[in-house]
Amino acid sequence: MSATDYNYDVFTGGQEEFLDFATHAPKATMRAPSFPVEELATGETVDMKNLWKTGVTVIEFGSFT
Amino acid sequence: MEDLHARYADRAVRSVFIYTHEAHPGENYRHHTSMGDKRANAQAFVDHSNIKREMFLDDLDGTAHRTYGGLPNMTWIVGRGGFIHYKSAWTNSADVEDALNNVLDFQENRIKNQWIPFYSERSAWSTRPMDRFQEGLVRAGPQAVSDYQGMIERNKAKRAAPSEDVAPRVPGNFYKTEEEDSGK
Repeated sequence: MSATDYNYDVFTGGQEEFLDFATHAPKATMRAPSFPVEELATGETVDMKNLWKTGVTVIEFGSFT
Repeated sequence: MEDLHARYADRAVRSVFIYTHEAHPGENYRHHTSMGDKRANAQAFVDHSNIKREMFLDDLDGTAHRTYGGLPNMTWIVGRGGFIHYKSAWTNSADVEDALNNVLDFQENRIKNQWIPFYSERSAWSTRPMDRFQEGLVRAGPQAVSDYQGMIERNKAKRAAPSEDVAPRVPGNFYKTEEEDSGK
């Protein structure tokens, strides 16, 4: 999926991503994948694994809309 | 979720928000064509909703978001070492708190009680605060309202489940009646 496809400009609603969540996304008891993310406040890039380095971390994904 | 963050911070629970693509882009908050767009919308969200949690941005391709399933408002709980304790297709703070208490209990008592974790699945519940959701669509712009309405119209037949149905046809439910499963 390209950045253009991912950042769609028209919401159509689909079920595919829900199937992906159930079948392809990591499952409980697995090790969480880590990717670089940018901290909004500082602009610094950090690896997600640093988020859970010291303890339990609650991660919510979302957007303004 | 902000309240949950405040109440559990002193129990060494870190709460973060990872900003994804715009789920319902509109004239006021458009889809992202650059990280600058993403930063601007994330900052608007922080300011509007008074977000106190640490805010991180996924990359423009949504690499992390898509790997974790790509849903618009998921919540995950990850323990030390990256052990995934909980994943939820939607965010419901009561369900997250229930799971979080379970995780903290496990972390604090697993050695004493010789507990071992095991894989489990369950369904969860949520209310549907449509007023707030509609407010969000209006805030995003007329296009967001129109796009969502279009999806509702397209899915009307699927969503019109009988009242005695145990699992209404909402996104993320996999339930099918016996008749549907047999193709009738």
